[in-house]
Amino acid sequence: MLDRDLVAQVLAAARRKGGAFAEVFVEERSSTSIRLDDGKVEELTTGLDRGAGVRVTLGTTYGYAYSNRLDRDSLLEAAEAASAALRGDAPGNVVDLTDREGMGRNRAERPAADVPAATKVGWLRDVDRVARGVGPEVIQVTGVYGDSLQRRLIAASDGRWIREDRPRIRLVAQVVAKRGDVIQTGWCGPAACAGVEFLDLHPPTETADKAARRAVTMLDSIPAPAGEMAVVLADGTGGVLFHEAVGHPLEADAVDKEASVYRGLIGTKCASDLVNGVDDATPANGWGSFDFDDEGEPAQRTVLFQEGVLQGFLYDRLRADKAGVASTGNGRRESYAFPPVVRMTNTNILPGATDPDDILRSTERGVYVTSLGGGQVNPATGDFVFGCAEAFLIEGGQITTPVRGANLIGRATEVMSAVDAVGSDFDSWEGVCGKDGQGAPVGSGSPTLRIARITVGGTGA
Amino acid sequence: MPELRELAMAAVQAAADGEHVEAYAEENRQTEVSALRGEVEGMTFAESRGVGVRLIADDRLGYAWAADPTAAEVRDAVARARENAALAEPDEHHVLPEPQGFEELPGLFREESARAVADDKVRMALELEAYAVSRDPRVTKVDLAQVGDAVSRSHLASTTGIDAGYARTDAWVVVVTLAVEGDETQTGFSYTIERGLDQVAWQPIADEAVGRAVAMLGATKPITAKVPVVMDPFAASNFLGVLAGALNADNVLKGRSLFADMVGQQVGSEHFTLVDDGRRPDGPGSCPFDGEGVPSGRTELFTAGTLNGFLHDTYTAHRTGGGQRSTGNAKRGGFKSTPGVGTSNFFIEPGALPFGALVEKAEGGVLIQDVSGVHSGANPISGEFSVGATGLRIAGGAAGEPLREMTIASTLPEMLRSISGVGDDLRFLSGVGTPSILIGEMTLAGV
Repeated sequence: MLDRDLVAQVLAAARRKGGAFAEVFVEERSSTSIRLDDGKVEELTTGLDRGAGVRVTLGTTYGYAYSNRLDRDSLLEAAEAASAALRGDAPGNVVDLTDREGMGRNRAERPAADVPAATKVGWLRDVDRVARGVGPEVIQVTGVYGDSLQRRLIAASDGRWIREDRPRIRLVAQVVAKRGDVIQTGWCGPAACAGVEFLDLHPPTETADKAARRAVTMLDSIPAPAGEMAVVLADGTGGVLFHEAVGHPLEADAVDKEASVYRGLIGTKCASDLVNGVDDATPANGWGSFDFDDEGEPAQRTVLFQEGVLQGFLYDRLRADKAGVASTGNGRRESYAFPPVVRMTNTNILPGATDPDDILRSTERGVYVTSLGGGQVNPATGDFVFGCAEAFLIEGGQITTPVRGANLIGRATEVMSAVDAVGSDFDSWEGVCGKDGQGAPVGSGSPTLRIARITVGGTGA
Repeated sequence: MPELRELAMAAVQAAADGEHVEAYAEENRQTEVSALRGEVEGMTFAESRGVGVRLIADDRLGYAWAADPTAAEVRDAVARARENAALAEPDEHHVLPEPQGFEELPGLFREESARAVADDKVRMALELEAYAVSRDPRVTKVDLAQVGDAVSRSHLASTTGIDAGYARTDAWVVVVTLAVEGDETQTGFSYTIERGLDQVAWQPIADEAVGRAVAMLGATKPITAKVPVVMDPFAASNFLGVLAGALNADNVLKGRSLFADMVGQQVGSEHFTLVDDGRRPDGPGSCPFDGEGVPSGRTELFTAGTLNGFLHDTYTAHRTGGGQRSTGNAKRGGFKSTPGVGTSNFFIEPGALPFGALVEKAEGGVLIQDVSGVHSGANPISGEFSVGATGLRIAGGAAGEPLREMTIASTLPEMLRSISGVGDDLRFLSGVGTPSILIGEMTLAGV
C-alpha cells in the first residue's frame, strides 16, 4: 500500500518532539452492500475507501491526525498535526521496519469479491420469499447483505510492520408481522470475518425463517410483567449482557479514569462461582477476531473471571504502558479515521455443567429471554438496561406465553453474583458495539444462564 | 486538488443518454481536544473528502462512492453505479428533483470559526476540565471534557440542473463528570453545540454536568408506582429519535409505522406540537437545501396533538402521490450512502410554563433526568417502549431525593396523550430539541 521508506519518514516526522511511540495506520477498504426492502432490491452500493492515520503518544496524551489522501505531503502534514499536541523537545528514533507475520486466522476460502453481484441479490430474494412464506401475518421484509475487504498496514516507531487483510460478511433479515392492531418485529443477522463459505453454515433462508418466526411468535405476546423475578437467558443472549454490563467496565480506559465499578477489585470475588468469562480474539473467522489488533499487538485470549473472581482488565498500548503491564491486544478502531480505543473482541461466558432443560424445569416462575435487543451501561455506576426482543413467561418450569415490552435493569456486580445456574450449551451473537463514536464488530457468547433475581420493567401484572 | 464542484460536475457529465445522475461531493475538517487531570488527553485532526454518485437508468437505482477521488475516479464511480443499477429492480418512483431555487442561510458558516487555531482549542479544553473539577468537593475528576469544531463544505449537482453548494461551521463542548461519595460514584452529562467555539458558553455546561452528578449521589431504587412525571430536555429528547422513525414516510409506506393510518386524528394531547424546521437560525441541523437539493422548510407534523402528515424526500413524495411534495427532508449520512428521509431541526414547540411551574404541578411525582436503552428498548414500529430511568423525587414543589434503577414502560401514543404541560425551556441537543414536558401519569417500576 505504501512504500516502507515513506512510512519511516512519516514516523520520524511524527516523533519530531519525541513521545513514547509513533504509529501509522493505513487502510484500504472495498465494500458492497445490497438492500432488499418491500419486495424489491432497492439499492446496491459499492465503495472504495482509503486513508491513513498518524498517532504519536506521550504518557496518556496522544495526538492523532488522519487524511484520506495518501500522498507524501498529506502524510507528512498529518504527522506534523499529530505531534502538535506534544510538549517534548528531543526527536525520537524509528527502528527499522520489519515484517511481523500473522497466522491468517480470518482467511476467506471463497472471497466475496469473486462472487457476482447477481448471486448476492439472489440470496436476498430467498430471504424475502422464505420470510413471507412463514405466515400471512408477515407484512414487511428487509434483507441487507454486506461484505467488505479491509486491507491494513500498521507500522510503528518500534519497528513493527504488519499487514493483515480482514474479509467481512453479514446477512441480516428484519421482518414485520401484523395481526389486527398488533405489530411485532423479528430480527436475525449472522456475521463473520470470512468469505461466502460462511453462508453455507448460515444459509439466508434459515436467517429469514428465524426472523419471521420471531415476529409472528411475538404477535401472541402479552405485556411483560414488572418487578423482581428470576430470568433465564437462552444460550447466546447472556453473552450480550456480559459484554455490555461487565465487559465495558473492565476496559482499562474506564478503570484508568476511575470510572469503573471494578476498579481495584482484581483478585476479588465479583460474580457467582459459576461465572467463568473471557475475551478471546483468537477463534478462526470470528466476527471480533484478528491476527493483530489495530495497534499491531497479537490477538490474545484474556481471562476476565475465574469462578467468579476478577482476573484482569482489557488493555491497549497506552493504558498498558501507564499501568506497567502488557497490552492484551484490545486496541481497536473503526477505521483510519479514528485513534484506537480499548475495546472487546469476542467476549464469552464459558459453559458449565447443567443441562439447560433442567435450568428451565427448576424455575417455578420467571421470564425466559431468547433474544436480547441490545442495551446500555454506565461503566462508572455499573447500572445497565437491556431490551428483550423475544421473551416468554416461565410458569411451573414450563415455557408458556410470549411477552413483549420487557427490559432488564440492574447493576453489573449484583446481577453477576445472582447467577445461580450455568448450562452446558453455548451459542454466540454478532453485533456492532458503539464506543467513543466508533463502531466495532464484536462477538459475544454464553451458555443458558439463570439470574435468580433481576428487575424486569414491563407494563403487565 | 480538484474543487468539489468540479468533481460533482465530472459525474454529471459522465451520464449516458437517458440516465439521471446526481453527485454529492463533500469535505470536512474536524478537530477534537479532550483534557484529563490537567493535561491534554487526546487531540484528533480529521480531514476527509469524498464523492457519492446516484444513478437512475430505466427506473433502476445504483450508488457508488469514492474517497478523495480524482475526476477520473469519479467517472469510475459513475460506471460502478451504472453496474449496480442494472441489478436493482425498476421502481418508477426513483426520480431526481428539479432545481427549485433556495434561500441561503448565511449564518451557517462563520469565517472566524473556520480560522480558529489549535492552541485556542487546547487551552479551552484544559480550562474546561480544570473548571469542572473545581466546583464541588465531591467532583474531582471527569470522565470526559472535550472541545471540538468542524468546517464542512458540500456541493450537489445533477442532470436535472441542480448545481449548488454551501459551507458550515460547528463547534461543541461535552462534559461528563464523576461525583464520588464513599463507595458510590455517579455521573453527570452536559453538552452544547454552536456555530463557533467563541460562542460556546462552556462554564454553564460544566456547572450543569457537575450539578447533575452531585444530585444523583445517594440515589435509591423507588417502589413501583403510578405518578406524575416531568422529563427534562435531556430525558425527553431520547424519545424524539423514536418519533422521527415513526414519522418517516418511507417507514409509513412500507408498513413500519404505528402512525400510518392516523393522519387527521388527535393522537397526542393539545399541548403537543411537533415541528421539523430546517431553517431555524439557531438550529444545529439547519441547511439551505436538503441532501437532494430540495429547499429546506418548516413542517408541522403534529399540531395541538393532531397528526398532519409525515417527513418526505423526493422518492416518498412521488410514491405517496396525490400532490404530496418533498418536505425537504432528504438526509445524507455522508458521501458513502444514498440519501434517505431524516430530520433537520426536529423539536417539540415550547409552551408558556417555566420549568419550576411544571415541577410544582407534578407534586409527589418524579423529575426524569436521563433515560437509557432507548435504541433497544423502544420500538418505532409498534410504539412500545420500556427504558431505564434516573431522576429526582418531587416533594414540596421542588425536585430533591435521587432515584435510580427504575424503568418506565408505555406506548408512544399513550405518552403523547398524557402530556399535560410543556415548558418554555426549549433546548437543542444536536438536531433534536425539546422543552421540559409534564406527563400526567406514568408507571415507574422499581422494587
